[in-house]
Amino acid sequence: MKVGQLSLDEFHALLIGQGLRVKMGPFNLSVQTRLPLLIRQLHQMYSHYSLAEEDEIVEFHVRVIPKHSIRQPLARLIRFEVDGRSPFPPVPVEQALATLEWGVNLVIAMRINHLLLFHSATVERNGHVLLLPAWPGSGKTTLSAMLMHRGYRLFSDEFGLMAPETGDFFPLPRLMPLKNQSIEIIRHYLPEAVLGPEIPGTLKGTVAHIRPPQASIERADEAAQPRWIVFPKWVAGAALRLESLPQSEAFLLLATNAFNYEVLGEAAFDAVTRLVRGCECRKLVYSDFDSALVALDELTDG
Amino acid sequence: MAEFKVDVRLDHHQLLLEAIIRPATLVNYSHLQWELLLRVARRARLLGYLAARLEKNGSLDKIPQRAANLLRSSLIQAKKQQQSVNWELNRVLWALDGREIRIIVLKGMAYQLQDFPNAAGRIFADLDLLVSKEALGQIESMLSKKGWQRHVLTDYDERYYREWSHEIPALVHPERGVEVDVHHTLSSPLGNLKIDPLPFREAAIKVKDKGVYVLSPEDMLLHCAVNLFQNNELADDLRHLLDFHEILQFFSQQQLSFREKLIDRANRLGLGRPLFYSLYFSRLLLHSSAPEQLEKQLNHQPGWLTLRIMHDCVPLALLPQHPDQPSKWVELARLLLYLRSHWLRMPLYRLLPHLAYKFYLSVFPGKSARAKQNG
Repeated sequence: MKVGQLSLDEFHALLIGQGLRVKMGPFNLSVQTRLPLLIRQLHQMYSHYSLAEEDEIVEFHVRVIPKHSIRQPLARLIRFEVDGRSPFPPVPVEQALATLEWGVNLVIAMRINHLLLFHSATVERNGHVLLLPAWPGSGKTTLSAMLMHRGYRLFSDEFGLMAPETGDFFPLPRLMPLKNQSIEIIRHYLPEAVLGPEIPGTLKGTVAHIRPPQASIERADEAAQPRWIVFPKWVAGAALRLESLPQSEAFLLLATNAFNYEVLGEAAFDAVTRLVRGCECRKLVYSDFDSALVALDELTDG
Repeated sequence: MAEFKVDVRLDHHQLLLEAIIRPATLVNYSHLQWELLLRVARRARLLGYLAARLEKNGSLDKIPQRAANLLRSSLIQAKKQQQSVNWELNRVLWALDGREIRIIVLKGMAYQLQDFPNAAGRIFADLDLLVSKEALGQIESMLSKKGWQRHVLTDYDERYYREWSHEIPALVHPERGVEVDVHHTLSSPLGNLKIDPLPFREAAIKVKDKGVYVLSPEDMLLHCAVNLFQNNELADDLRHLLDFHEILQFFSQQQLSFREKLIDRANRLGLGRPLFYSLYFSRLLLHSSAPEQLEKQLNHQPGWLTLRIMHDCVPLALLPQHPDQPSKWVELARLLLYLRSHWLRMPLYRLLPHLAYKFYLSVFPGKSARAKQNG
């Protein structure tokens, strides 16, 4: 059953009651909140997700609750909690959605070590995974948003989840936070994209989330093998360059980019070695998306 | 705060204790039991412990996949932490190279050095060391020379450590981030329980091929008991009671007279009270096989009223709160034990200003008395 098949009342009842238990890629998530604003936003933004199977364990339990502050008695603040504990200081109630989404990413990054977690946009084309690893602020989200509306299947704009033993990558399509200027760019370039509310004043400026396409969410159980690794870099006014990258350099970039490379130790070393050896590695410099798309299409054709 | 409705038919304490006492039954848990157990065990920092047990008896493949994934994740994390602390010990010994300083390794790292049954999957992030008070200055300056730094402290914290505590402020090497806690005694020098560290240091045992020492088995248990019932506030501390329980069981199986030697040692060092509680609650919560007559031989047993109160409060503090339904009673019990732990460590004229200052900081976190840069 899909979230979108629930009426707002049913949806509301779950969120204020035992929790909305929803499937997010390889994980199940339970969300509780009583905030009317957040409930309305989630009803729209989570509509393509399936409810978790009845007899399955939910891994992450989060809630967003009002927070009263002694120092700011008049401020309307909220708190993100996971298992009853809060990893962030309280934020204004308008930022509830952004805080929920970041909080869930944080919990995944902190708790999951049976998979290797790359800090990477991840998409699939022609049955194989294209990994686009990059640091925060380098346009991963914008690039994945563009690609997913141009024939690529979105795995994630944030995580490359890899099973270290088999090399399989798993989709984790979550709401994608566009920041600042990217919001206007995407509105202009992809009028078909479904965007959530603009949330000003967050740590990363103004944020608006894109809802992943229905097909990406529905096929979130389909893992795939990696075939291309492209390190993207957006440079204003730069001419397009897609250059091949030595495997040794790709290895170093990937090892330092993974959230839990150090924790996994030897298993991560072996996994990244196999990954790099099995993939075509490139470096992409671009300023204009259309030409980047042509280059990536050519790379991933057949 | 608005309460969310939750299925309360599952007793989260019972679930966790059953899992620890009878890990074989875990293969029969329903998905809801697993879900709650995983959350409660994480809060008690016992996921790695459970994972190590399940891995050892080959049951990780017989439980639901999602539970196994979370348990494996914790175990991987625990192994990494153990490796980091082990390496930190290696670096400390390198930094002190050639000096005649007797380093006694305490707590988590000591359990790991001796490969105790409670060490597998145990989550710990600090390296705790015991040295003589005379060696303290030398160690601090040698570590500082090799790059370790002190945490940024306020003047108040600095004074708290230097004058009222049993350790110096933690040292951290910025490249590795592992806290090194150097102790000169085992409990606060201001506390009501005066502990002379000398007999502990003298009885310490050299670890083969490591160049360091660990406390003797009896002393290790006494230290564990002192930490639980003298130094700590007991909140979410079940794992330390479990350390005590597992180490006691380990040595009791090896030596028939071990328990008697332990009682003897406690009486000689005046540590009957914390040992009493450790034995008492190990039996109550973890079904320890140590007989009741054992703690009856201790000096300094608590009176019946004190024991009654501890009997009611301590389990509520040691065992984790329900993640969705924190109980006010539990918070009260924990508050009482928090005050008790401070009461035991400081005389009233020090305690009241200290608690007042901590409360002030909890309301105005930015306004500590003149924050000072160190290192």
